[in-house]
Amino acid sequence: MRMSTGKRVFLYAMSVILAIWLIGPILWIVDASFQLDNELFSIPPHWIPQKPTLDNYKYIITRVPPPAYAYDPGQIQMGHKASGEALAAIPALKNSFIVSTVTMALNVVISVLAAYAFSRLRFTGRNVSFSFIMLSRLIPAIAVAIPFFAIIQALRLLDTYLALILVYLAFTLPFTIWFMTKYFDFMPPDLEDAAMVDGCTRFQALTKVVVPIVAPGIAATGAFAFLNAYSEFLFAVLLTKTMASKTVPVVLSAAAINFDVSYALASTAVVLAIIPPIAFALIFRNYITSGLSMAFGK
Amino acid sequence: MAGGAARRRHIYAYLSILPAIVIIVLFTVYPILYNVDLALHKNVLTAPGSHPFTGLKNFADVLKNPGLVRSFRTTAEFTAVIVVGNVILGILIALLLNEKFFGARVLQVLILIPWAIPVVMAGIIWRWMFAGNIGVINGFLYSLGLIDKYYSFFGNPATAKLTLIVARLWKDVPLTAILLLATLQVIPHELYDAAKIDGGGAWAAFRYVTFPFLKPTLTVLLILETLTGFVTFDLVFVMTGGGPADATTLLAWYTYTEIFTHLNLGRGAALAFIIALLTLVMAMFYFWALRSEELY
Repeated sequence: MRMSTGKRVFLYAMSVILAIWLIGPILWIVDASFQLDNELFSIPPHWIPQKPTLDNYKYIITRVPPPAYAYDPGQIQMGHKASGEALAAIPALKNSFIVSTVTMALNVVISVLAAYAFSRLRFTGRNVSFSFIMLSRLIPAIAVAIPFFAIIQALRLLDTYLALILVYLAFTLPFTIWFMTKYFDFMPPDLEDAAMVDGCTRFQALTKVVVPIVAPGIAATGAFAFLNAYSEFLFAVLLTKTMASKTVPVVLSAAAINFDVSYALASTAVVLAIIPPIAFALIFRNYITSGLSMAFGK
Repeated sequence: MAGGAARRRHIYAYLSILPAIVIIVLFTVYPILYNVDLALHKNVLTAPGSHPFTGLKNFADVLKNPGLVRSFRTTAEFTAVIVVGNVILGILIALLLNEKFFGARVLQVLILIPWAIPVVMAGIIWRWMFAGNIGVINGFLYSLGLIDKYYSFFGNPATAKLTLIVARLWKDVPLTAILLLATLQVIPHELYDAAKIDGGGAWAAFRYVTFPFLKPTLTVLLILETLTGFVTFDLVFVMTGGGPADATTLLAWYTYTEIFTHLNLGRGAALAFIIALLTLVMAMFYFWALRSEELY
């Protein structure tokens, strides 16, 4: 059935508005990253940079100030206000990557194991433990901020990757266990039953037969855990002290509330920081959307 | 032997869920007990070493503070606006994305971008978009001749609230739309044909076919977004700092500042306990409402 021209025009007009709303802010921050502060402060703003430059990227990546950033007292608006926060973007990215990747790997293993048992096995305490895991997710993070700090301090884990990884596991597992349980529920048990008749143990059936089949669900789980760990802020602020463990949100939030920040450098740091999650989401797009459809659809 | 098989099944099941349970107990049950203990004693960081039992005094102190009521009201307002905005925009966008045309396929990719961006970074980007010095929103309004000098969005309580709402919706509506779209796609086409034969227009089709299908997903989204409203912390941190005055002091931010500016852990724990209780009651209410719904 062909669409009427009027409807087509309307749909495209709405699409353009929606596209601007969705990616306009991103395009602007990218735009800003190719300008220096003196240009950013022009009124009205330059939608297309008049003097596009890679200096911000060079500065953040090499940490050697390019000539434009050389100290010049006459040029107050110039980028010499090199904020340390923005310059810490690369080490912070490294920390974020390590924490998020390890969280993702551990989350996938732990949640697949647990979800498989919840989905396939009848055992005493099954409903209670499942409800308990789900209910734990309802506790607001801020409500356990003080005890978390105390626990991490008692374990002598302040300012370490492990502290963040443990906390992020506790906060991501309820969702991923629920999600994987639902995912396993959709899978008919025939294949693994056949494998067990052929002499596989339950664990072997899971790793050799089931895991390859539910790989898309596992990818969605992993993506969810990674993105969550990468984004988390409250505990990252609370439990990190130095660049030994500070993650990207901590470093960038410090830049954001610093009124003396170089906007150009900080915008560049934001661009670098949002590339990994966007790439991640786009690469895993099919798994994420089909996984979500499965969990929320019929 | 049936008994042996059942025992093996139990052992396997317990071993499987053990790691998850251990981590969650360590980071939820224990913290709550710890919080209760803190809240029942005097515990001020400026006076270490002196922790007499004070009963419910911390709770009374917290509840007496008019700041709590104000921040609760601010949070309720904020939450109401984002829940309603999220549902309306989510449905409209999902309907647009469900149309069969090239634009929908492009948008289905673009819509993942705000969803993937960490809240802190979304907040920073919107903070700078609304800024009074480099803000492009000001620049845009100025170029159009709508304002003759840059406006300070963060200096006025109403517009400061607006900035938070805009950032929150930008970040949250995509997931709502994706989930609603997934639900839309399973609606059998015959139902629309039937609605057409019955002589209903587009609205009738939406009201009697589309909406009933969306309802269970909408209920889940309602819960998620309400909880989001009550725990929004990062956006306040990077965008408004709770101001001007306490116009954007949401509960999570209020709790954070109470703990870390007054360094009174006892009171902070009492406040945390009250907030956890509040969230739990709200969630229970939703589950109860959800249960009385007829789920398909």
